[in-house]
Amino acid sequence: MRPAKPAPPAPVVLEIDGLRKAFGRATAVDGVSLTVRRGSIFGFVGPNGAGKTTTLSMAAGLLRPDAGSVRVTGVDVWGEPRTAKSLIGVLPDRMRLFDRLTGAQMLYYTAVLHGLDRASALARADDLAVALGLDGSLERPVRDYSVGMIKKISLAAALIHSPAVLVLDEPFESVDPVSTAQAIDLLKRYASAGGTVVLSSHNMDLVERVCDAVAVIVGGRILAAGTLDEVRDGRSLEQRFVELAGGRVAVEGLEWLTTFSV
Amino acid sequence: MADHVLRLKLALLLSALRPGRDLARALPVIALAAAVVWAVLALASVVQPALPEHRAALVIVATALSVGIAVAPLSAGLGSALEPRRFASFPIAPRRLALSLAVAGAIGIPGLLAAVLGIGLELAWAGTPTAGAAIAAGVLAALAIILTSQFLVAVGAQLAVSSAARRVITTGARVVVALALCAAGITVLAVGDPAAAGTLLPIAAVLGSTPVGMLWAVPGSELAPLLARLLGGLVMLAVMALGWAWVVGRLLEAPQRTQREASTTGLGWFDLAPATPAGVIAARSLLYWLRDPRYRLVLLVLPLAPVLMMLTLATAGAPLPPLWLLPLPVLALFLGWFPHNDAAYDSTALWVHVAAPVPAVADRWGRSVPPLLIGLLLLPPAPLFVLWSGVDGALPALLGITVGLLLTGVGVSSVASAVGAYPAARPGAGPFEQPPTLGARAGWSQALSLVAILALMTPALLTGVWGFTDPAWFVVSGIAGAATGLGMLLLGLVIGGRAFRARAPELLDLALRG
Repeated sequence: MRPAKPAPPAPVVLEIDGLRKAFGRATAVDGVSLTVRRGSIFGFVGPNGAGKTTTLSMAAGLLRPDAGSVRVTGVDVWGEPRTAKSLIGVLPDRMRLFDRLTGAQMLYYTAVLHGLDRASALARADDLAVALGLDGSLERPVRDYSVGMIKKISLAAALIHSPAVLVLDEPFESVDPVSTAQAIDLLKRYASAGGTVVLSSHNMDLVERVCDAVAVIVGGRILAAGTLDEVRDGRSLEQRFVELAGGRVAVEGLEWLTTFSV
Repeated sequence: MADHVLRLKLALLLSALRPGRDLARALPVIALAAAVVWAVLALASVVQPALPEHRAALVIVATALSVGIAVAPLSAGLGSALEPRRFASFPIAPRRLALSLAVAGAIGIPGLLAAVLGIGLELAWAGTPTAGAAIAAGVLAALAIILTSQFLVAVGAQLAVSSAARRVITTGARVVVALALCAAGITVLAVGDPAAAGTLLPIAAVLGSTPVGMLWAVPGSELAPLLARLLGGLVMLAVMALGWAWVVGRLLEAPQRTQREASTTGLGWFDLAPATPAGVIAARSLLYWLRDPRYRLVLLVLPLAPVLMMLTLATAGAPLPPLWLLPLPVLALFLGWFPHNDAAYDSTALWVHVAAPVPAVADRWGRSVPPLLIGLLLLPPAPLFVLWSGVDGALPALLGITVGLLLTGVGVSSVASAVGAYPAARPGAGPFEQPPTLGARAGWSQALSLVAILALMTPALLTGVWGFTDPAWFVVSGIAGAATGLGMLLLGLVIGGRAFRARAPELLDLALRG
């Protein structure tokens, strides 16, 4: 009996190579390279200002890199943007929506921009609204939504054209636990069907629970990348992250904070 | 039961007399009401029913005032209106409630005025053979006014589902009251003029045969029409009373009418627009032009531009009539020029377009639809302006130049908004707010796009000017204008589309920094 051959690794869907971006003199992203395989949920973690949003924006085709390339299933995002954009679904952080539209209009709008016809746009909007717990809020203008609701409608808008790769920047920030669980179920279902997710988060527990591959970015460079176990290296992701991010700085000089005036 | 509603009504009336803002607001109303009471009683004592023009004036004044009084409760806003729906949660029999509300409606200023008007009719006819009929008619008319006003309040409260609707109703009611007072005043002034009698008599005759003026005309009629009118008034009142009971019953049971801004299945403009990228962008753009204060302000201010221009030129000594050829082209120019920074108005929401595989021209074309649609409104009044200008044969030129300026403007704007974008006020910002860093780029972009439109339209504008000496040029100018417009629009959409495709990430970057 021959030992069963290990399953060949899934093909690479997202290939980021040597991305670089500077804003004025400050280098935000300094030569980031990553590969993300099909069917995986890839966690992108890093401290504030480490370059997560910049990297994800460049990967999604929103922000033009100074150097480097991004390929989605072999399509060059910055060379053939139209083909690439139909393969990518984006949820950017801190960007507005057309917030005078109602939720339903917003979903329909994104769907048609991605080339869906009226019937499937409406049907998919309804499905996503149910799956993400948005039904009942779709008739309200997006400007009345809370931050968490905006994240949910943005996730729905990112999913509506069934992209091959989802790029989600802080998708669960301010989202309540029930909706987060619902959204995670949805993403897991999407990934097990062959979809690929790249998400950034500050919530290490959530990344540990959801992701099967992780990259840690600090100061515009990738300090560790690989499967969750490789990156954790026997510790919890949070410990490893704090260590990579420069460890805890011993708190000095804040004595006044511990001497209470009664 | 009835006394509870009455007590509520009295409490509401007294609350308006509390010292402070309430009283300050109530005093002018009380003063106006007192003036009307005094005027009605004074007029009733001087009117001479024997004179036909006095009889006619009496019918007209009374009719106008009764309309004003019936509408008056709506003009106070519906904030504390005693409308049937408010009592829906209490266990009150509908018939009881209908009666209570009708009685409560008789108390208060409108009720008082209605009664005074009825008494005025009786005073005017006192001592004549038809004094008895006048008393009956006065009572019926006062009751009819009170019931009508109850109907109006009930209907108004159902319509006032949004604060905007409430404002419209209140304003409309105030206009009606003002018009009614004016009509009454003018009639009183006109009676003294013998020439006016010729117009007053037929008006009074018409009013006297309508439900509104029927009862006021009772005492001045011959026996047969007198009886007919009195009977008609009685029937009308009976129908209204039964109708009132029915309406109250229905309102207590029917579900609340809510604001249906977006129905459960509707997507508004998106249902009308084709399901293509250009179609939805057009629908979204139109929605923003109509709802966003940044666009709306421009639509409101735009019409002032030609007015100011004409005033300036006229005071500078230009002959007025030909100046009437200016407003439409000026409006078209600014309407086409305004969207020259349209992409920046999206702010960071532009990412929705950048992240989707939108065909380059679709974005430009969609954004062009609102100014083009609004610009269509400029064409129908063109013949009127030519007529006022007194310039023969200028119509083709005016139409061609207006169309040309609009289309060229939209074409230039669709290039400028991709190439020369500059920071714009944020969505939701007040219309007068400006971004903190406007920079020299804004000035260049604004000036260059305006100059470009005028430069491209030079042939049409120049031939248009020649038309004043030889009208044959007007036709040439019209054709040149329309042709330039079409060409520049198409060219602008294609060039603008390419520029947008190439520069979309940079536009988003600009929005992120702005």
